[in-house]
Amino acid sequence: MKHHFLSLVFIVFGSGAFAADGEKSAEQIAAAEALANAPAEGSISTEDGLAAWDKVFDVFSHPRCANCHVDDGVPMWSGSHYGETRPHGMYVGGDPDLTMGQIGQQCNTCHMDGNSPVLHGPPGNAIWQLAPAEFAWFGVSSRDVCEQVKDPSRNGDRTLFEIAEHIEHDALVHWGWTPGPGREPAPGSLSQTVRDVLIWGAAGAPCPTE
Amino acid sequence: MGRARTIARRSFLIGSAAIAGGVAFGVYAAKRPFDNPNLANLPDGSASFNPWVIVDSEKVTLIAPHADKGQGIFSAQAALIAEELDIDLDQVEVSFGVPNKAYFNAKITEAAAGFPLYDTSPTAERVRGFLGGVVKLALPAQATGGSSAIPDSYDKLRKAGAVARETLKLAASQQSGVPVAQLKTEKGAVILPDGTSLAYTSLAGAAASVELVADVVLRDPKDWKIVGKPMQRVDMAQKSTGTLTYGIDFRTDGMRFATIKVNPRQGGSLNGYDASAAEAMIGVDKVVEITGGVAVIAKNTWVAMKAANAISFDWGEAPYPAEQSAHWDHLASIFDDAHLNAEARVEGDVEAAEGKEVVGEYKSPYIAHAPLEPLNATVLVTDDRVDVWTGHQLQTMLAPQVAAITGHDPENIHLHNMFIGGSFGHRLEFDFVKQAAEIANQMRGTPIQMTYSREEDFAHDFPRHITMGRGVAKVKDGQVNSLDIQIAGQSVVRSQMGRLGFSLPGPDTQLHEGAWDAPNFNLPNLRVRSYLTEELAPVSSWRAVGAGPNVFIYETLLDEAIFAAGADPVEERLRLMGHDVSVKVIEAVAEMCDWNGPNVGENRGRGIAYGFSFGVPVATVVEVSKSDAGIKLEHVWMAGDVGKVIDPVNLENLAQGGTIFGLGHAMNCEITYSDGMAQQTNYHAHEGMRLYQCPPIEFRALENSPKIRGFGEPPIPPSAPALGNAIFAATGERLREMPFNKFVDFV
Amino acid sequence: MKLTINGTARDVDVEPDTPLLWVLRDELGLTGTKYGCGIAQCGACTVHVDGEPRRSCSMPVSMAEGTDVTTIEGLGNPQAFHVVQQAWVDNQVAQCGYCQSGQIMSAAALLDLNDNPTDEEIDRAMSGNLCRCGTYPRIRAAVKDAASKLRGA
Repeated sequence: MKHHFLSLVFIVFGSGAFAADGEKSAEQIAAAEALANAPAEGSISTEDGLAAWDKVFDVFSHPRCANCHVDDGVPMWSGSHYGETRPHGMYVGGDPDLTMGQIGQQCNTCHMDGNSPVLHGPPGNAIWQLAPAEFAWFGVSSRDVCEQVKDPSRNGDRTLFEIAEHIEHDALVHWGWTPGPGREPAPGSLSQTVRDVLIWGAAGAPCPTE
Repeated sequence: MGRARTIARRSFLIGSAAIAGGVAFGVYAAKRPFDNPNLANLPDGSASFNPWVIVDSEKVTLIAPHADKGQGIFSAQAALIAEELDIDLDQVEVSFGVPNKAYFNAKITEAAAGFPLYDTSPTAERVRGFLGGVVKLALPAQATGGSSAIPDSYDKLRKAGAVARETLKLAASQQSGVPVAQLKTEKGAVILPDGTSLAYTSLAGAAASVELVADVVLRDPKDWKIVGKPMQRVDMAQKSTGTLTYGIDFRTDGMRFATIKVNPRQGGSLNGYDASAAEAMIGVDKVVEITGGVAVIAKNTWVAMKAANAISFDWGEAPYPAEQSAHWDHLASIFDDAHLNAEARVEGDVEAAEGKEVVGEYKSPYIAHAPLEPLNATVLVTDDRVDVWTGHQLQTMLAPQVAAITGHDPENIHLHNMFIGGSFGHRLEFDFVKQAAEIANQMRGTPIQMTYSREEDFAHDFPRHITMGRGVAKVKDGQVNSLDIQIAGQSVVRSQMGRLGFSLPGPDTQLHEGAWDAPNFNLPNLRVRSYLTEELAPVSSWRAVGAGPNVFIYETLLDEAIFAAGADPVEERLRLMGHDVSVKVIEAVAEMCDWNGPNVGENRGRGIAYGFSFGVPVATVVEVSKSDAGIKLEHVWMAGDVGKVIDPVNLENLAQGGTIFGLGHAMNCEITYSDGMAQQTNYHAHEGMRLYQCPPIEFRALENSPKIRGFGEPPIPPSAPALGNAIFAATGERLREMPFNKFVDFV
Repeated sequence: MKLTINGTARDVDVEPDTPLLWVLRDELGLTGTKYGCGIAQCGACTVHVDGEPRRSCSMPVSMAEGTDVTTIEGLGNPQAFHVVQQAWVDNQVAQCGYCQSGQIMSAAALLDLNDNPTDEEIDRAMSGNLCRCGTYPRIRAAVKDAASKLRGA
């Protein structure tokens, strides 16, 4: 049996991939500037921090993000192409340890280096995979996602600044705002989300109580 | 050559007379024989004994004229000829031949004769024979459809093989001086008493000039060597290696690729368009207008499709209600005398019948054909002739359609029929051929391959007709006492034939097929009425045609009644069934699944349904389980009676495949209209069954029917109600509308 | 643009966004790979790119540069079947056959890495290949048959 090799390579979320052409978009430049001008710790009130978190959660819980942050290895489909949210067709995945799919039908069997230009065609990115199961956001409450994101034992051992950096760096995260024809992008923008994470962090990363 | 022509004509004459079976038809056949089309270009030294067999010095060629869209008829026809010709299938070449009225299908109209197909009374047979004669004389149509290819071929092709064999033996006798009675045949050769083997190919020249042997006797099935045994289909190796040429794979020098966009509001007008962006694309040759839309011609199909998507259109309105809800509302409004298609069956008196009432309303949606090979045709128009490379089920009706566009004499339109990657009825339509011809006619001298994008295939399908059923059952003393069924829908036949310019008066039997002919002779009160409208979206024959929706209505209502009566679904169906062949089918499936065995347990349920279509009774049992994730199909058992099994392997494949087709569409497929357009544009929204959802499917073939029948369609009708009835047994939820995923999730 | 198809170097003149499928079919005449949906829903266009199954309808040809592409024609032929093709013939899988090139390419990719797949693993690997005729029971049987042949059983 050779089939577990798939999962080994990309277990760690965030490979640092950039846009395929290597050129940074205006949004990426703005996000980098936001990182460079992060607010100082303690400079933000808890109330403003919670407000920032709400915007972050709007992004994280959006189908463009949450559909691939699942705990059972099965991504979700939703939106105008597929109607109400439902499990990805074709019986893909199913093993939370195999974030790039199973032998014979990996994510990249259909998902290519970029979005298909055809309406309803597969979206794509140089790397296309599920988030690790411990980062499951699909159907998870704002409070629970919040607690997970700031917990180094459950967020890939990252500081909050590193989380903002990850959002700023990762091309698969960026895809959430450039999801291809006919798909609703994640709310807000890349740079705004980086800023909101930093604001939330600077406020001490407050989480909703319920 | 001249002599060969006379001989061949005569042999076919005899073959035809023998096919018909019915006296009336035999007389027509004898009076009006067709020429053997193989003689037109037959080289000297070759012999063609009838339209189905050619022998030359190199090879034996068998002509299999029925269209093969996956059902395996190409192989089955060859096997029927080879059985009597005494030759192995790996020793022959099999060809579709040239479309010709000599290959007319006398059985395709059997279902339209107005008699249930289990009725083999002299009157019913006479009417069927007459209709077959009409096909031959009036149309005459080489056609594949209605699960009729096997019935059409069964006697005719064995006869063709026998005539060829006996004539080859006569030629061998004359050549060797050995009396015919002492000659044997095997593996493509005549064997002399001393063991000398004379290959048929070596006898071709001699056979072309001997008298045809017309007096042949068909072998007893117990002596068959090929037919009835597990076979290897002759197309299997090519289909497993990507080397079979489907219509879409045809390539010829100088060919250009095209695609079309026509008004997605079916039949609506093209008011205007702007193709400037498309015309500017690299690789685009030209944008031309066709009826109701435009076509892009380009260096490859991708460029053509991309350019077509870059054209902006101003489309006209749909000539039918724009929104789906209006289609259902319309159907609900036509259960009245003004729309009566037929009071198709009346037994007893359903009004006066006594018992507790069970009332239900049932819906069967539009469904797309969506064969995996998108519709396509390659056409080359020159001043002298037109060549068409495509797969079509109405082979001899294609030329006039194309001729009307190009202005050629129909005799100069040449269809090269190709293998078909699925049809399910869509290849009975001509739009795609006419569109390709319209393009090629504007590009004379250049072969044009026109391929629909999948999106165009969905948008421009003529789907399965929409149907609404209303039923009232009455149960009394633990038994079903009465069924009163009303069916409102569209006439598929009128819609389809209307596009060919035919208007068909009178009732359309397909509108109540599968319900009016249910052989529940022990049910004292039964009435089936159908109501017809022509005001909705254009529709076409979809695998099993009327029996698909109607068996769903009939068998779901019956199941509801049986539960209300507190009876057992199998036992009560057996009690009501007055048709011995069907009784055995139900008994067989009950035995296979051990219906009377231990209870299937918690959160599981089994449903049974029976369907009669194209002369074949089929009974299907589905077992499902339920969990938080939804309904899972666990197991299917089915039995069917085709009279005689030609190839048990292929038959099982058709049984399983047809069941999967029926189940998959019942689970998750429908076409709905919004703004006059089909909302489902590709397989993500009209998926059918996937491999992981497919349960084990056990099949048993019975051979009690007095007539041989085809099995391409009959597995479909009972599969949907069997699933719905199983879901009821597992969950208590009665599903009266397809697709079922509107009400339950499937695992 | 330079490509390597079935071990042979090919030069094609197409726009870089042209899907590999159409380069194979319309530019190179390799028609064994089929067009079914154009959006990676049906699997009829499955080929191997550097040994992995990919839906060629959704793969821009620019992505295939510098890779080894294998199509159904490169897997085997009627004179020399690949073990999966042999199993497909032995089990008489096809009806219309139009999806089978893609089915076989998916099965070959599965068995290349796992020659003893469970039912569940077969379902996971093969459910992206749609068969409208419903040959699934025979596909399952043929995959198991090929697996057992590969294991020398």
